[in-house]
Amino acid sequence: MEISLNKSPPTVMHIDLNSCFATVEQQAYPHLRGKPIAIAAYPTGGGCILAPSIEAKKFGIKTGMRVREGKELYPDLIVRTADTVLIRDVHLKFKEICLDYSPDVVPKSIDEVVINFSETPALKKGLINIGREIKKRFRTEIGKWISCNVGIGTNRFLAKTAAGLHKPDGLDIIDYKNLEDVYSKLTLTDLTGINVRFEYRLNKAGIYSPLDFLKTPDHILRKVVFKGIVGHYWYLRLRGFEIDDFKSERKSFGQDYALAKKTSDVNELKKIIIKLCEKMGRRLRSSENCAAGFHLGLVYEDWTNFHKGHKFKDYSYTTSELFSKIMTIFFQQSTTKTIIKVSVSCFDLQPLNNMTLNLFETNVEKNRFLSKALDEINDRYGEYIIYPGLMMDMKNTILDRIAFGKG
Amino acid sequence: MQEKLFEKISVIFSYNAEKNRSIPYKIRWRLRDYFIKTLAYHHKVREGRELLHIFHVTDGNLDFRIRFNTEDLNWILEEVSDGNIT
Repeated sequence: MEISLNKSPPTVMHIDLNSCFATVEQQAYPHLRGKPIAIAAYPTGGGCILAPSIEAKKFGIKTGMRVREGKELYPDLIVRTADTVLIRDVHLKFKEICLDYSPDVVPKSIDEVVINFSETPALKKGLINIGREIKKRFRTEIGKWISCNVGIGTNRFLAKTAAGLHKPDGLDIIDYKNLEDVYSKLTLTDLTGINVRFEYRLNKAGIYSPLDFLKTPDHILRKVVFKGIVGHYWYLRLRGFEIDDFKSERKSFGQDYALAKKTSDVNELKKIIIKLCEKMGRRLRSSENCAAGFHLGLVYEDWTNFHKGHKFKDYSYTTSELFSKIMTIFFQQSTTKTIIKVSVSCFDLQPLNNMTLNLFETNVEKNRFLSKALDEINDRYGEYIIYPGLMMDMKNTILDRIAFGKG
Repeated sequence: MQEKLFEKISVIFSYNAEKNRSIPYKIRWRLRDYFIKTLAYHHKVREGRELLHIFHVTDGNLDFRIRFNTEDLNWILEEVSDGNIT
């Protein structure tokens, strides 16, 4: 059965801060305003650019480039590292403003939120008016340099697509009246969720544009293109029906670190691994979970890698328990090579209060209480006031980062 | 030029009750006075028990990042920058 476009009034708003990391830096440091700047993981040539400013984008500088490549495009490019505390503060203010309009505000990342206005009194004002008001409030309550893109649609997909139409500082709405017109101006890879591999798959089925995609019948998408239910989801999504309104569940915690100084020294690596385990453990413990599955990933100097995951019989909670599990996997490497990147993660999470205690190991519960107490001391007196002995001299080694993707 | 520092500084702070506006008015750093023109951003950070107020301010020539520790009532200059590359 063919379904027509969703003709209900739009109730979803997607807000995206423009060049978030760079704009926030320009807000805090007025002398950077109007200049091409880039926020990078490291200011050195090999550092990865996380966010170029709107001015830097005009010179072709893009996210993911190396600092060196950025400077080739614009030699006077000012490079700064991210002030994570500042960015998180802006994010919280940004979210608080949005919460004034609807209780259903979902942060999609540090610089993006989705607001669902269905059944809220704010709808009476009209979403375009609310969008304008939010933009104005960002400038007055966060900072006058802060601008955002607002997209309005009947589902999250259309709202995000609308937010990307006129950058920077745009406000667009996509509904059944202009949907085909908007699709006619886009390419397949402009659609969120479609990249080159999906594009190739669509091309193989004779779909070359978003309009072709829209006009393709449900059964072709399901049986020929995507070979599964995903095809039906795309069929609905493209027509403005909401199918992305779900809350994902936390299934793992992980940390990784690209070594500033590559090494094969086990003692040096132990120090890094315990710090990663401490950071991972802090997050695991604050979620009141423990983990049975562990994964260690190592990238060697010659770009080969070692990846191994293992499910243990017992659940781990304290940093020393996590560390010993990761080291068990570490010693399963068949070769000793120089390492340039380490990543650790834990999975198979279990709520702490569902745990069965070991009959023979009597100190387990005591150690867990101790671990919790140490976390509370760090919460109260500052991060790394108290830490494992192996972590000596490591306080500033693994920096605070803001992850891309879902926040 | 961007220089990270950790130096105690003298600050005159003003609070306007009518506008409900708080802003550092003048800072003295290395025996020189800088009159603050604009408060670019203000935020709070907790470091354990300590509550720190971070002010990003400018005197028109230089941008300063200064912090006020509510525990010991000290002002620290954390960063000076002129927005240029060198």
